[in-house]
Amino acid sequence: MPAELENTSAVTVSTASGEASASSSGNQTAPPSTTTKKKRNLPGMPDPDAEVIALSPKTLMATNRFVCEICNKGFQRDQNLQLHRRGHNLPWKLRQRSSKEVRKRVYVCPEPSCVHHDPSRALGDLTGIKKHFCRKHGEKKWKCDKCSKKYAVQSDWKAHSKTCGTREYRCDCGTLFSRRDSFITHRAFCDALAEESARAQTVANSNSEEDPKLQMVATAATSSPPPASSAPVISAGLPIQNPELPEVQENPSIILNHAPSATCLDGSSSSNSSSNGCGSSNNSSNVFASLFASSAAAGSLQPQTSSFSDLICAMARSERPTTLSAGSAAEPTSLCLSSTSLFAPVGAERRQFAPLPQPAMSATALLQKAAQMGAAGTNASLLRGLGLTMTSSSPSEQQESLQWSRRMEAEPAPLAAGLGLGLPCEGGTATGLTELMMGQSSLFGPRPTTLDLLGLGMGSGGAPTGGLSALITSIGGGLDVTAAAASFGGGGSSPGRTWEEASERKPNSPPALL
Amino acid sequence: MKTERRGNSAPISLPYSYHGLLFNNPQGSLPEAALKGRRLDGACTEKLLLHCASAIENNDVTLAQQVMWVLNNVASAVGDSNQRLISWFLRALIFRASRVFPTAAMNFHGTTALDQMIQTRSMSVTELAGYVDLIPWHRFGFCASNSAILKAIQGYPRVHIIDFSITHCMQWPTLIDALAKRPEGPPSVGITVPSCRPPVPPLLNVSSDQVGFRLANFAKTRDVPFAFHVIDCSSSCSKSAGADTLSGDFSRSFHHLMSQLNPCMLDLRDDEALVVNCQNWLRYLPADHLSLRNTFLEVIKGLNPCIMTVVDEDSDLDSSSLTSRITTSFNYLWIPFDALETFLPKDNAQRMEYEADVGHKIENIIGFGGMQRIERSESGFKLSQRMKNANFLRIPFDEETVGEVKLLLDEHASGWGMKKEDDRLVLTWKGHNSVFATAWVPINFQSS
Repeated sequence: MPAELENTSAVTVSTASGEASASSSGNQTAPPSTTTKKKRNLPGMPDPDAEVIALSPKTLMATNRFVCEICNKGFQRDQNLQLHRRGHNLPWKLRQRSSKEVRKRVYVCPEPSCVHHDPSRALGDLTGIKKHFCRKHGEKKWKCDKCSKKYAVQSDWKAHSKTCGTREYRCDCGTLFSRRDSFITHRAFCDALAEESARAQTVANSNSEEDPKLQMVATAATSSPPPASSAPVISAGLPIQNPELPEVQENPSIILNHAPSATCLDGSSSSNSSSNGCGSSNNSSNVFASLFASSAAAGSLQPQTSSFSDLICAMARSERPTTLSAGSAAEPTSLCLSSTSLFAPVGAERRQFAPLPQPAMSATALLQKAAQMGAAGTNASLLRGLGLTMTSSSPSEQQESLQWSRRMEAEPAPLAAGLGLGLPCEGGTATGLTELMMGQSSLFGPRPTTLDLLGLGMGSGGAPTGGLSALITSIGGGLDVTAAAASFGGGGSSPGRTWEEASERKPNSPPALL
Repeated sequence: MKTERRGNSAPISLPYSYHGLLFNNPQGSLPEAALKGRRLDGACTEKLLLHCASAIENNDVTLAQQVMWVLNNVASAVGDSNQRLISWFLRALIFRASRVFPTAAMNFHGTTALDQMIQTRSMSVTELAGYVDLIPWHRFGFCASNSAILKAIQGYPRVHIIDFSITHCMQWPTLIDALAKRPEGPPSVGITVPSCRPPVPPLLNVSSDQVGFRLANFAKTRDVPFAFHVIDCSSSCSKSAGADTLSGDFSRSFHHLMSQLNPCMLDLRDDEALVVNCQNWLRYLPADHLSLRNTFLEVIKGLNPCIMTVVDEDSDLDSSSLTSRITTSFNYLWIPFDALETFLPKDNAQRMEYEADVGHKIENIIGFGGMQRIERSESGFKLSQRMKNANFLRIPFDEETVGEVKLLLDEHASGWGMKKEDDRLVLTWKGHNSVFATAWVPINFQSS
C-alpha cells in the first residue's frame, strides 16, 4: 500500500517558521530526549527557508513513508529507499533526487492543542516529531513486563526495560522495589522486620540485617506489593476489580446484559434491549427521576445481582405510581448508568459498570435533554435511589458494618425518600436551563452577550425553544469559551492539558476534555 | 460505538440508541451536524460546575438538578481522568445541594458518606508506605525536607523532630537511614508526634504508638539511638452532644496541642537540634481572623528550632467564594487524576483509593463552609509571605538537594518535574505547580 507522501498539507512559511530545538518547550520535563542528532537553531532564530510540513497523524505514524516509485516498496528511511532504487538500474536522469528535496523540512505536531502545532515551534526532525506525537498524544502500546509502566514510544520502552529490574531491592517479606526510598520506607514498617528483630533478640545474634538486601534479580518479578496481603477492610471495601473477591466474580455475567440497557434512557425491563422505547417516556419527570435510579434493571437481573441493586430497584418500582405522568409502560428502573457507578464507588455494583463506556452523548444532546426534562417539570428527587447514604443513615446502622456497600444495603427507608431534592419545582420549565444558556439568568444580571454559558454571543431575544435549538446548532459549529471564561475571572483552561508553561494558557483552544 | 481512541482521551460519541430519541423530539429535528459527537470539553464542564454551584446558592433547585443531570452523564468514576475528576466534583456539589435543600424525609447527621467511608477505610502501615509512593506528591516533600534537615543538623549529637503531618511518619525511615550513614556516626534521634490529626485520609489502622514502635525497631537495626513520643492532645472536656463533627474534634485537640508545645513539656535539651516538620499540615489551620495558623507559627518560633520545613499544596483554596474555590480546585486537582491515569489502569484499586481521597478533599472544599471546611491551602507564594511576616528566614535548598529530588523524579513518570520559585522547590506535573517545599529558621535563632 503506497503510503501518502509528505505533502498532505504542506505549508511554506517564509517567516516565523523555524527549526525549533526539540527541547524548547520542554523546559521542565525529564522525559528521554528526542533523538535530534543535529544541533538546532534556537527558537526565535527560524530558518526562513524551511518548509513546514504538517502531516496527519496517520501519515506521521505510517512506517513506510518512502516509497519506491518503481516497485512501490516502502521504506522507513529515505536513505534506504535511495539504496534500494540503485538496484533498479535506473537511467541516469531518474537517479538523481529532485532539487526540491534538498530543502530543509520542519514538522509540526498534528494535535491542535499541542504547543508544537504552531509552525514556530516545529521540530526539525521527522523522527523527533513522531516520537513527540507518540509520547504525548499517542496510545501507550509498549508495556514493561516487569512493572506496570506503559510507553508510547518503543525506544523509551527499551530504555526503561534496560534499567527496570536491574536494580532491585527485596524485602524479607518478598516484595520487590525498584526504588531505594520506597524500599527503605516499606522495610521500616514491614512485619518481616519486626519479626526478625524479635528473633534476633531472643537468639542474641549480632545484627545481620544491617544492610538492605540488595539483590540483582535476574528474572522479572512484580514490584508492587501483593494485594492479597492487604487488610480485609481495604480489599473488600474498595471497588477492586480483584478477581479474588468472590462478589466480583458473579458480576461479569451481568455486565454484558447491562450494557445495552444502561445506555438507553428508558430502561425497559428487558435488560437486553437497547433501542426500544427510547423515544417514549422521555418528556416526563419520570425520566428525570429514573435517570438517577439505579441502573440495575432489577426485574430482569439474574439472582446474582447484589442486594444493593435489588434495593434500588425495589424502591424505584415503589415510586412508580407517584412519579409516573407519562403513561408509558417503560419502567422507572431505567437507567442512568453513570449514576450508580458515580455514587457507589465501592462494591460489586460498581464492578458491573466498570468496563462500560459512558452513556455517550454529545454536549448538545445532553443540554437539550436536560431542558426537556425541565419542561415537564420535575418533582422528582434528584438523587433518589442513587444510594447515597450520606443523607440519612441512622446512627445505629452506621456502625453496623465496616463497608460502604453493606452500609448502603442496610438503609432502605431513607433511600426511598432520596436525598431530598424532591421539592416542588420552582417554575420548572425549560426556561431555567435555557435562560442560563442564553445568558439571561438572573444569576448574572442583564448581560446577555457576554455571559452565555458557552460564550455563544447570543442575543437577548428568542423563545426558549428556538433559542435552545439555536444554541445547540451553535455548539455544533463551535465553542467560543473566551467570553464565558472572562465572566468567571480566570481558570479558563481545562484540565487534562498537555505540556504548557504555567504562564502560557491558551483559553482559545482548550484541549478537548475527552 | 466509540470513535477511535487517541492517547488517553476517549471522545464521547453518540451511541445509536440515542438517535431515536433525538429524532423523535417534539421540538423538531435539529441539524444533524449539530448533534454529531461534539466533545464536551473541560472549559464547558467547568462552566457547568459553576452554574450548578450558583444554582444551589440561589436555591434554584430545578436548574441545579438539570445541570447535575448533564454533568452526571459526562462524569464517570471509572472513566478517564477528567470524567473521574468531574464525578467527584459533582458528588461534592450534590452533597452541598442536599444540605441546602433538605426535606422532612431526610435524616441528615452532618457527616458525609465519605467521612464514614474514610473512617472505615484505613490502611496498614505497609499499604500506606506504598500509597505515599504511588506518585511523588508526598515523596517530593519528604525528599526535599529530609535533605534540608540533614544539612541543618550537621554537627549536632542529638536531634529532636516534631512531626506535624498527615502521613503517619512515612517520611522518617529514609532520614534515619541517611543519618545512620553519617560519617561521624548517627545522632540520637527523637521523634514527637501529636496524637491528634486532621480528619482526612490517609488513615492508618494502627495507633501512632505502633508506628513509633516500628520506627524504633528499624532505627535499632541501623544502630541509631531512637526515641518516640506522642503528645496527648485529647482535651479534658467531654464531647458535646449533637452536632459534633470530626473537624470540631480536631479543632479542640489542636488547641490542647498548642498548649503543650513548650520546651518543658517537650523535654528539649540544649545540645539538641530541634526540627519542626510541617507536611500537609498548615493548610488545616484556619487562617481567618482567629488565625490559628499565625499563632502556631509564633509558638513554633518560641521553641527555637534550627529548621522548620513546610511542605504543602501549591494552590489558594481558601476563598470564601464558592465559585472561586470550584474554579481553583478544578484547575488544580486535575493533576493527581491525570498523573494516576498515565500509568495505572482504570480499575486499579490503588488508583481509585487515591482518587477517593482527593474526592474527600474536594467534598470538603466545596461541600462545606465555616469551621467544617478544613481544607484551606494557600499557595507557596502566600505561605512564604506569611512566614516572612512571622519573622522566619528562608533556608535555600542547595544543589545536592535539588539533585536528589531530580533523581527521585526521574524514577517516576516523565510528566513530573521540578522548578525553583524564589526560595521554594515546586513539584510540577506537565509544567503545572502541584506541591511546594520550603525550609525556614526563625530570624532570632539561637544556636547552642
